[in-house]
Amino acid sequence: MYIYKHIKKFLLESFPIILLYILAFSSFEGIKEIQNIALFSFSLQMIIIYIYVLKFQDYLGYGHIFVAGIINDVVIGTPLGVTSLTYLVLCFFTSYIRNVTLRSKMTTEWFTFIPAIFFSNLIYFIIINNFSNLSFYYVELLSNSFFTFLFFPFFYFFFCNYQKIFKNE
Amino acid sequence: MQGNSRDDFIIALRYALLKKGTKQKFSLFFLILFSILIIILDKLSFTPIKTTRAVLNDFVYRVTMIVVSPGKLVTYLGSKAIKHINIYDEVKTLRSEVRVLKTSKYDSLFLMTENKNLKLALGLENVKSNEEDTITIARVMIDQESPYLKSLIINKGTKSGIVKGMTVFSRDYLIGLIVETNYLSSRVLLISDLNSKLPTIIQDSDVNAILSGSGDNNDLILEYLPDNFVLEPNRTIFTSGKDGLLAIGMPVAETYLNKDNVLKVRALADPQQALIVHVTRGQFRN
Repeated sequence: MYIYKHIKKFLLESFPIILLYILAFSSFEGIKEIQNIALFSFSLQMIIIYIYVLKFQDYLGYGHIFVAGIINDVVIGTPLGVTSLTYLVLCFFTSYIRNVTLRSKMTTEWFTFIPAIFFSNLIYFIIINNFSNLSFYYVELLSNSFFTFLFFPFFYFFFCNYQKIFKNE
Repeated sequence: MQGNSRDDFIIALRYALLKKGTKQKFSLFFLILFSILIIILDKLSFTPIKTTRAVLNDFVYRVTMIVVSPGKLVTYLGSKAIKHINIYDEVKTLRSEVRVLKTSKYDSLFLMTENKNLKLALGLENVKSNEEDTITIARVMIDQESPYLKSLIINKGTKSGIVKGMTVFSRDYLIGLIVETNYLSSRVLLISDLNSKLPTIIQDSDVNAILSGSGDNNDLILEYLPDNFVLEPNRTIFTSGKDGLLAIGMPVAETYLNKDNVLKVRALADPQQALIVHVTRGQFRN
């Protein structure tokens, strides 16, 4: 019984890490197509990193974020370290926002997500353009960033409630 | 006052970069520097780095295959269910297609015989063709698309003689070229990718063009067409072989009118349906 409880606690505690790794391995991009109808893509990884670094930093280590980025690079085929750096830049911005914010509110956190996504994607663009011969699908990336921003509140409530339930247990 | 706010800003930045937190093992500053180092080493790409990357790729691709398998199963079951629902219409279409193919079969038989006879007459019967080269059959491990690279991973690598630049076919149609090789796996850059450029020739014309991807399999781009050339629908686009690698006359795409009556170019192969692919040294897979 004690072992079962221990495993359950470990799994619940590691949920964001496990999810981040699964997303990195499967290079998740949201619902892209249903029956040849192009829908939308968004970066759930960025949302998870932003929420957890901002509000529950003890549950998602920078080391895991770094490794998830490396895995994502290997799966996608971009130069090694690019996604890691992007995620870490996002962490840096989030950490800065956390330090300068006095009162935490969902709306402020939602809007501070815009510069965080912007700067992390900017780093991505600069490195891809200078360190590889890859071309961009600019429109797709822009829509990806837009939908990432748009879906933030939904996942914000989901992860906040999850952490609440987890803590209560 | 201004000095104070600047100090606060610097303190907040330093805190964000260097503070580890209770359960953080690494500081952000260290990991950012480490990422930059990895990017530089990957760019320099000397032999130990290449080998490490190849080993890492092989490992990650295999884990990815396991991670994405439940999702793939769901997609497979969904497509099977839809196929079952649409089976009546499919049978009707297939019957009419068989009728058309039966008539065209005789035409191609006649052309083959004529071609053989003409080769005999010209003394070309002993010309050794590239088609005698080995064809490697591989399985698609991962077909996840990214906003940067439309590619797929196959389960054959340098161990099976795969080298960069080899051509990949799915159901007799060219789907892409090998751009990255590891010991046990390789990456195929699809013809729909923005970075893909193929020298082509258009059916019933002597017009050469470069077929490049746009990210969408149903919206490829024909570049460097002559100014006065008018592209018509239902024309097949073949490889011209001008790059010296691809064989001449491999069908890769076709022109069509979309719902809005706009002329578009689509790839003949559907990479999303590719499970087993054939890797060749540029020759046609038939």
